[in-house]
Amino acid sequence: MSILKLDNVKKSYNTGNNGGAVVEAVRGVTLRLEAGDFVALMGPSGCGKSTLLHLCGAMDRPTAGALTIEETDIRRLSDDQLTRLRRERLGFVFQFFNLLPTLTVRENIELPLLLAGMAGSESERRAVELADRVGLGHRLGHYPQQLSGGEMQRAAIARAVIHRPALLIADEPTGNLDSVNGENVLALLGELNRETGLTILMATHSRETAAVAGRLITMRDGLMSENAEGSS
Amino acid sequence: MKLFHQFILRHMFRERIRSVVTIVGIALGIAVVLAIRMTNASSLRGFEKAIETVSGRTSLEIVGTGLGLDENLLSNLGWLREYGRMAPVIDGEAEARSADGRSETLRVLGVDILRDRSFREYDLLEFSGKDPTPQQFLELLVDPKGLIITEKFARRWNLRTGEEIDLTFADRAERYRIRGLLRDEGPARAVDGNFALMDIAAAQWALNRLGRLDRLDLMLDDRQRLEMAEQEIRRRLPAGLSVQRPSRRGAQVEKMLEAFHFNLSALSYIALLVGLFLIYNTVSISVITRREEIGTLRAVGVTSRRILAMFLAEALGLAVIGCTLGLLLARFLSAAAVKLTATTVQSLYIAAAATPEPLSYGQVLLAFAIGLPLSLLAAALPAIEAAGVSPTSAMRGSDRLATRHRLRAVFLVGPALLFGLGWWMASRPPVAGLPLFGYGAAVAIVFGAALLAPVVLFGVGRIGDRVLFRVFKVEGRLANANLAGSIPRLSISVAALSVSLSMMVAIAIMIGSFRETVIYWVGQTLQADLYMRPATRNNVATDAVFSPEVEKIVAAHPAVAAVDRFRNFDLEYSPGEKNSGGNPGLVTIGTGEFTTLLNYGSLQFKDPAIPEQGREAMRQAIGRDAVVVSESFALRYRKVRGDEVTLDTPRGPAKFQIAAVYFDYSSDRGILVMDRGTFTKFWGEPQPTSLTVYLRDGAEPDAVREVLLGQFGDRYRVLVYTNASIKKEVLRIFDSTFAITYALEVIAIFVAILGVASTLLTLILERRRELSILRLIGADQRQVRKMVLIEAGLIGMVSQGIGMLTGFLLSLLLIYVINVQSFGWTIQFHFPTGFLVQSTILILLATILSGLYPARRAARLQATEQVAEE
Repeated sequence: MSILKLDNVKKSYNTGNNGGAVVEAVRGVTLRLEAGDFVALMGPSGCGKSTLLHLCGAMDRPTAGALTIEETDIRRLSDDQLTRLRRERLGFVFQFFNLLPTLTVRENIELPLLLAGMAGSESERRAVELADRVGLGHRLGHYPQQLSGGEMQRAAIARAVIHRPALLIADEPTGNLDSVNGENVLALLGELNRETGLTILMATHSRETAAVAGRLITMRDGLMSENAEGSS
Repeated sequence: MKLFHQFILRHMFRERIRSVVTIVGIALGIAVVLAIRMTNASSLRGFEKAIETVSGRTSLEIVGTGLGLDENLLSNLGWLREYGRMAPVIDGEAEARSADGRSETLRVLGVDILRDRSFREYDLLEFSGKDPTPQQFLELLVDPKGLIITEKFARRWNLRTGEEIDLTFADRAERYRIRGLLRDEGPARAVDGNFALMDIAAAQWALNRLGRLDRLDLMLDDRQRLEMAEQEIRRRLPAGLSVQRPSRRGAQVEKMLEAFHFNLSALSYIALLVGLFLIYNTVSISVITRREEIGTLRAVGVTSRRILAMFLAEALGLAVIGCTLGLLLARFLSAAAVKLTATTVQSLYIAAAATPEPLSYGQVLLAFAIGLPLSLLAAALPAIEAAGVSPTSAMRGSDRLATRHRLRAVFLVGPALLFGLGWWMASRPPVAGLPLFGYGAAVAIVFGAALLAPVVLFGVGRIGDRVLFRVFKVEGRLANANLAGSIPRLSISVAALSVSLSMMVAIAIMIGSFRETVIYWVGQTLQADLYMRPATRNNVATDAVFSPEVEKIVAAHPAVAAVDRFRNFDLEYSPGEKNSGGNPGLVTIGTGEFTTLLNYGSLQFKDPAIPEQGREAMRQAIGRDAVVVSESFALRYRKVRGDEVTLDTPRGPAKFQIAAVYFDYSSDRGILVMDRGTFTKFWGEPQPTSLTVYLRDGAEPDAVREVLLGQFGDRYRVLVYTNASIKKEVLRIFDSTFAITYALEVIAIFVAILGVASTLLTLILERRRELSILRLIGADQRQVRKMVLIEAGLIGMVSQGIGMLTGFLLSLLLIYVINVQSFGWTIQFHFPTGFLVQSTILILLATILSGLYPARRAARLQATEQVAEE
């Protein structure tokens, strides 16, 4: 079963200004991600990379074409159904970590489980376990702003995978980190991919980062091309 | 200016809801302050205007000591002609009734028309502008059942010259013939046209004042010599008479109403205070949410002074619109407030036309003079903060990152100092009869509580997680975390709401306690079976007395065991130089049969505290120059049992010993009661103004009442209350007195809840990023909505918590300091649990409701909205 399937997906925006010009950010992308794939997505700024990530992350619906996540066509889903899909089957990691500053590390990590309705004791147990695994066992009671950049990103990764998603969307996960912390984060993602079979779609500007992925796809002017350079 | 337009005006327009909420807040604050001023002015102005128009060209008036002056004295006052002309006056009230039951009170002036025409303008419609000759005028009024009314009243009542009108003077209903109509000039303008003119002899007859005059008006030949003439006349007048300017009566009334008005004004400023919190809130929010923009402006060379000016200008802009709207709103509010206070003013103080004052230039000026500087002051702190924003830190955007706040001991210093100051001020004596320090203490407590808001929020944030998580699951945890993360922002709204709520709680406790005290007092003191008063005696100030026939009818009823014939009137009391306490003011002199009261009735004594000793003291006062005084008299003039008071009597100043002090809640002006024998010795035989009737055992009060009313027939109009109905009436007046208090409170709370809604909305906008993350990782719309509503409820709960505690402190201050110093009443503390539980639920619901719109806005945020841009 394909985890993610895009068939000639298009996405255009009406800018609303100057008589409503239409910008076509994604102009017909076809892509398939199988379980356990680690795919890097590269391309210059403005190439439609972020738009494609939003579509793949069920944050947005395509204007044309078909996009299915685990055989579910997201075009037919309501806002609430999209939310549920994200909550249960997807995980997200961002350049700016996007942890909630008012929650502790543990509370941040267990949040997806609680939003899905899991009991507090169980979610706490799993959060503590996962925090240990990503090396944050000693930081559970700290707030994000008390952590280093690398620690914040590891906490964000833990939050993204605690509910065992089918697909992890990572948008420049090392973009805001120094090289040592960047390598650690990539190593962690690789480990998760290998050990748990987690499917990862990672956008990046850097060729070195992209190199950890098994597949590399490139976007330019809203169109995609695939080259088999990556190695895992 | 261009920068102001681009940076401030556009922003205000973009944030329409917040701007509108702030403007409404200021408008309501200003409107309430103005409305109360206008209302207070209207009750006074109505009275003063009536004095002014009725006085005409009178320069001075000769008055007696309480019960008017003996007509026989006129022959000894011939020397007054050396100063000018004299005109005797009877001044009273009558009730006009129509066949369909409509009734209105008329001010009736009885004059010697030949002498009076040089004092007052009487423009009669019948003579179309020409002066009637004395002969013609005399003919109009020679009929003892004839009177002249105003054209305005005649038009309203559809009456014409020659027709008849039913009038009740005191308890006597009679039919009078309208002999002429006065144009809307001179005295006819008084009390909205409710004015009637009679011949002096007819008026004396009608008002049962044969042989007496209410005053002697004096018009000086040389008006420049007013001061000197007044002094000379004062020296030459015999004992029992005094000279005063007509405006003196207005001043007396003003003094009497001072405490009542002062308390209302103080309350009205709470709404304004909350409105100012809103300005502070709005400008703060404006600064906080736009730090990057400010940083950018600073980076491109805008000076910090200019930034300061722009934010102050924002506050000024909001305040100008708010004040303008407030002026318009004040007109409507004052009409409502006049209605709400009319019962109190009329039943406890004076009979005045209850029409709101029109908006004057002075009030327009006042609105801006209060609103603008205070708004600037409220905006100063956030504006200074804006001016201090450094270009680099703001552009990094790092300031915006919410952080956890630590509780520092220094946060407790401010509240501790303010509470200490409050405690000290609460123990200070009144200033010029007003509890100025008491109000100072209230302000200190309120600000102390406001400064406590961040501390309490911190505490709630610390302990709230466990409870909220258990009750509301993840949404509870998120709401609590949000609350703890926004303490500086939320503190302002919580403080504003707490202040309003604390006042509500304090006033509820005070009124609840007062009500319970009055109920107890009424139960203790009102022991008689029937209470009677002449129909026109609808307030304490009128001087309507019973006809001897009515007294006879009552005394003759076989079921009547005893009748206490009570008389009271107002007298100016000046405590004298030796006594430091209190300024001259009106007090009520009362007289009744002490023996009857001792045998049948009961008083609740304060000093001596043991009832039997109180009764003994009263018994010993019979036949002596002694009085029992109300608590408010004792407190106001700092008198205790055994002290002497000097009263002006027709026989000159006389000393009376205070035999006892009793509790009384019927009037705050101070009452001195003496036995009938003592009273007669100084003032002559009194005609009663009320009758207190004790029935024999087994008699049915309602049945007796019916029989008596039947015997009075159409001839006499008497209000007869049974014990149960008088108690009900007391509570009705009590409740209507405090209706305005609640109305003011509701407005203040409404404004504060607007503040909560506006803060929540800002927090939502500010937390867009966090909300997007939440939506992204799977929070659905319902969960986000629930989170915001829990947050709103939390704000309500914390505010109500602080409000309750502060309100409790304030209620102690109101009951034991402010009230005692203003009115001189001892109130027993009583906690109105039911009301407080209800209000807490209501406030929680209201704050949750105020969170509905912000919650909707939050839930509508899309997952990609903020995170996507990065």
